[in-house]
Amino acid sequence: MSAKETANPLLEGLQLRRRPEACAVVIFGASGDLTKRKLIPALYALAYRKLLPERFAIVGVARSEQSSAQFAAAMKKAVREHARDPFRQDVWDTLAAGMRYVGTSFDDAEGEDRVGEALEEIDAQRGTGGNRLYYLAVPPQAFTAAVAEIGERRAREGWVRLIVEKPFGHDLASALELNELLHRWFREDEIFRIDHYLGKETVQNMLALRFANGIFEPIWNRQFIDHVQITVAESMGIEGRAGFYESAGAIRDIFQNHLLQLLALTAMEPPIDFTADSVRNEKVKVLKSMHTPGPKSVVRGQYGAGFVEGIEVPAYREEKDVDPGSLTETYIAAKLYVDNWRWADTPFYVRAGKRLARRETTIAIQFQRAPHPPFEAIAGDGLRPNVLLIHVQPDEGVSLAIGAKVPGAGMTIRTVHMDFLYGGAFRTGLPEAYERLILDAMLGDATLFTREDEVEEQWKLVDAINGAWQRDRPSFPNYASGTWGPGAADELIHRDNRSWRRH
Amino acid sequence: MGIVSDIERQLGRLRAREAQDGMPELRTSTMTHLVWCPPEWRAKARATLAGLLERHPARTIFLIPDPAGEPGIRARVELKDFELQGLSREVLSEVIELRLGGSATSHPASVVLPLLVSDLPVFCRWRGEPGWTSPELAEIAGVTDRLVVDSSEWRDPGSGYGRLVELFGRVAVSDIAFSRTLPWRRRLAELWPRIGSIERLRVEGPRADAELIAGWLRSRLKREVALTRRNAAAVTAIWVDGETVRSPGDGLSASELLSGELDQFGRDPVYEAAVRAALPTAG
Repeated sequence: MSAKETANPLLEGLQLRRRPEACAVVIFGASGDLTKRKLIPALYALAYRKLLPERFAIVGVARSEQSSAQFAAAMKKAVREHARDPFRQDVWDTLAAGMRYVGTSFDDAEGEDRVGEALEEIDAQRGTGGNRLYYLAVPPQAFTAAVAEIGERRAREGWVRLIVEKPFGHDLASALELNELLHRWFREDEIFRIDHYLGKETVQNMLALRFANGIFEPIWNRQFIDHVQITVAESMGIEGRAGFYESAGAIRDIFQNHLLQLLALTAMEPPIDFTADSVRNEKVKVLKSMHTPGPKSVVRGQYGAGFVEGIEVPAYREEKDVDPGSLTETYIAAKLYVDNWRWADTPFYVRAGKRLARRETTIAIQFQRAPHPPFEAIAGDGLRPNVLLIHVQPDEGVSLAIGAKVPGAGMTIRTVHMDFLYGGAFRTGLPEAYERLILDAMLGDATLFTREDEVEEQWKLVDAINGAWQRDRPSFPNYASGTWGPGAADELIHRDNRSWRRH
Repeated sequence: MGIVSDIERQLGRLRAREAQDGMPELRTSTMTHLVWCPPEWRAKARATLAGLLERHPARTIFLIPDPAGEPGIRARVELKDFELQGLSREVLSEVIELRLGGSATSHPASVVLPLLVSDLPVFCRWRGEPGWTSPELAEIAGVTDRLVVDSSEWRDPGSGYGRLVELFGRVAVSDIAFSRTLPWRRRLAELWPRIGSIERLRVEGPRADAELIAGWLRSRLKREVALTRRNAAAVTAIWVDGETVRSPGDGLSASELLSGELDQFGRDPVYEAAVRAALPTAG
């Protein structure tokens, strides 16, 4: 807040929504799917709720040649197809009025000059004051050139922020290189490494659940929690992304970012406040505390042919543009430990995969069994431990499994679920993760973005696992599409006399 | 059988009937929502509720006073179900309509208290102008966390504010008329620092809205602001020292305004100061 605003006595109590300063959002990779499906619909949703600054513009930059009018028409279609709100011409008009397109390859200096000229024109016409939010939705090979072009041409006035999409490198060395490249032109507080999972309401609700409720935090530790299970399951395959997926696999696509971030949020200590550095300091401590799992604690898999929701689907190696002998993993499960006072000896079982039985992202906190249940001999389906289940997607919400007496004579205990469904309690419609994250970046709030040291810690763990994988040749495929993954993943958890959650 | 048991029994029966449709129900509530609703306000209040329950699942209790009617309380219970998109589940919200006849009008708390949802906040939307010295207002203020009025529904907002301030120490109060002016107040705030020396405010709009904007400016800027007004159903234009203030565009619906109030907890010192500064003596 500026000094002028601080002094303004009229602002108090105005329920001022967090509205960013005038700015231009520049999307590199504007002809891609992400722009159509997520970014422009998110900007439309923000405009719909009057959360964008009045002086605002969108500049699309991509290789394909098209006019600004053609770009606007394509984005209008995207909004009609993908926005969560009904189409309103007046809202669209406010967005479209400041929309431009520049066709150029990202390493073409002359093309980049045209981007700069378009932005200067926009500053003059729309009053965006030299403030720029660059969104790099470009393939990894175009990243370096795009960053360099933006860095060399950064405006002298106004702020510059950069949202960087994953993958952020492919190992620790490349991530360090990318960080070095970015820091050549940008300060860390200008860099917003996006992990869209952190923009999900339910992920943020994890923090609310833990730190706004007095009942959970005292038992959120090794004394009361038996283990934690984190599942990021997808029922779909690679959806034509063989080029990316072949070199990434599940470990880089999901484990390195989403899964480890979910784990960090689950295990972190209470931050002193909800500022970017406080939250990220605590997350990075968790990542630093994780020790490298041994080979027996990690399972990888690749899907074979099978049936998903009654439809026959091909094996990974039969997908278009996938090497028929590919050794890329589409599934990973691991037993991880956070070596600190709170979590010592408490396993975190994590798994992520494609073509699994259903789409589901959950964090399950399984508590210790009751120490001396007097009903054991007569319990109905066995006395199960309490489980706090956080549904990240779908069915966003929280449920708690508790034992309850079955009505009638005797003392039969059954497990019942108490549900809190987000959609049931707060019926406002959950915002898309990208809405929250783009708005935060415009406001300069990096709390829900990943800091350089977090990324580096995540890669260290992934590199260690990958290093061990290089030494043997897995027998793929090892699970059928539409199942819950390879048998070895069950063995991984059964060895500890535990099992994956029932679905 | 007492009225409360009768209501609970009716609710149980309705829930059992709902359970037969094969769709799992969630009884989710975020509050108890009381509506003090003289008969002439009933239709409007029901219309507002229609747009509200989807956003604020609640047990809603309509209290319809009928002092001249047959003594006693008559209850009507209904369940409103809202399907959760894509989840094959529905949320049930309970709506209880209580007609308070004769002396029951003056003692609503005894029937309201046992019907409140435990541990959740209680909001009361008071339709029309409260009887400032009435026992029913005192009782409702005593069981409510937040009283929501709309001073534009009052015959004489100016004198009503004088009575309203007496409630501030007993219950958190908010006013839909004040909320309705929020987009305009945001516009006015944008005129800082120029507006810091305002002397004259002209408003085209309802009296309550105009008085509250003027009171807000006086209390925030700590200076005298002379108000002139031309009547209109909603605030359509504002001038500061003769200069037109740019319109903030469309306002919110009645349901959206009430919904906004139901998200607020605790006292609103800015509103309370605006009301005090809107009092005729302050002007």
